[in-house]
Amino acid sequence: MNDLFFITLISGIFVAAASGLTGSFLILRRMSLLSDALSHVALPGIALGIIFKFAPIWGGLAALFIGVFLIWLIENKTKLATESVTGVFFVTALAIGALIIPQQDLLEAFFGSVEKITFNQIIFQTAVAIAIIGLVLKYLKPLALFSIAPDLGTSVKISPAKMQLIILILIALTISIGISFVGVLLISALSIIPAATARNLAKSFNSFVYLSVILSVLSLSGGLSVSYVYGANAGIATVLISASLFGLSLFEKK
Amino acid sequence: MPGQTLLKVENLSVVIDDKKIIKDVSFELKKEEVLAIVGPNGAGKSILLKTLLGLFKTESGKIEWGKDVTYGYLPQRFHIDHYLPMTVEEFLKLKPNPKYSITKVMELVEIDKHWLHKNLATFSSGQLQKILLAWAIIDQPQVLLFDEPTENVDVISQESIYDLLHHLQDTLGISIILVSHDLSIVYHYANQVLCLNHAMVCYGEPHEALTNQNLSELYGDHAFFHHHHFDNHHHE
Repeated sequence: MNDLFFITLISGIFVAAASGLTGSFLILRRMSLLSDALSHVALPGIALGIIFKFAPIWGGLAALFIGVFLIWLIENKTKLATESVTGVFFVTALAIGALIIPQQDLLEAFFGSVEKITFNQIIFQTAVAIAIIGLVLKYLKPLALFSIAPDLGTSVKISPAKMQLIILILIALTISIGISFVGVLLISALSIIPAATARNLAKSFNSFVYLSVILSVLSLSGGLSVSYVYGANAGIATVLISASLFGLSLFEKK
Repeated sequence: MPGQTLLKVENLSVVIDDKKIIKDVSFELKKEEVLAIVGPNGAGKSILLKTLLGLFKTESGKIEWGKDVTYGYLPQRFHIDHYLPMTVEEFLKLKPNPKYSITKVMELVEIDKHWLHKNLATFSSGQLQKILLAWAIIDQPQVLLFDEPTENVDVISQESIYDLLHHLQDTLGISIILVSHDLSIVYHYANQVLCLNHAMVCYGEPHEALTNQNLSELYGDHAFFHHHHFDNHHHE
């Protein structure tokens, strides 16, 4: 096993854990497709990275934050559902991204390219993943309450706008660190599929969150290993493993 | 001490989306008192309750909670996603600053211990209300704001929740503000009643405040169709 693969794998475990945690709240909030759609918003930023030769992850992160902030702003102003506003943003971003990203780089942006992850990027991703995990653990109770019963949340002085913003920030951060592994199109492999599988299996909230994390970690480390051994695309392998686990969970459900 | 004023509301008005939902409402809540808010659907009862909680802005008027008065809230609706993976114990632990232990609060609302590890989604709406009541009192509030559900709860569960509230009021000295559409509940359990149809139609002790005239003003004359209108027709 070479060193770069090993540290990529370690970083992947943190990234997947953070994605699984975020994913579990997206499932509870019924915002599953949101992160999937939102991930496209990163494309114009990735494009700038490719054109101006800086790590695309920075461009992606900046684009996501601008996107998330605008969505939150428009949502609060117009009272349109988050998903509707995202719907407008993601096709626009997809079009802009596809227009300016060179053809040969487009596939990598869509499906991820583990081979191209640099050491600096690995350090950055791991740090952001740890920050995500910290943020979720800090706000675990209010986030959970807000997700299952917003009314009860507000009655104990939990601000819905603040919680919604935290969730959007979590999504943006999660997407930005997941993109290099699984690409823009397959991002839900790390967050939504594991959380959906966990919900099929879990009997309690704690087990739901833990399972979501474990399943995401399993999927990504499996995907990375398959890619290392057989040279397959890591993103695609991760999705297929994640989806197979989901398929198996359907049989477990009582 | 009994008789101490916990909440004083003066000339309260609430405007939502340019509509005046609550107009010039004033009342008081004293310790160990049960105040019922009655009125037709859409009269602003739930909004009034939520305004007291600070969930809506006041347009004018004052809401003065007494010094250090704490309050709990039971919402009208508690929609639980059928596949929500959360046990009763986990749910109760989500409440910030609990004062009672989970075991104690289960005892107070007469919930069976084996409910603790069961999933929230497996309970009926009547049972969920008891769980919500446990949630509402676990931090030992002095005032309980209870928004009566208008649907999905059967009569028996509804009666037992009122008996339970009554019992809690006796044993813990809790004051209650309850929103109800059922006048028999008001006669049974309330010391004070406030009739609300955007504006205040009546306020006082139930037997004095709920006069026929006030009720017909509150609900419209058709509510008394059978008593008056129908009889008159018959004799014409």
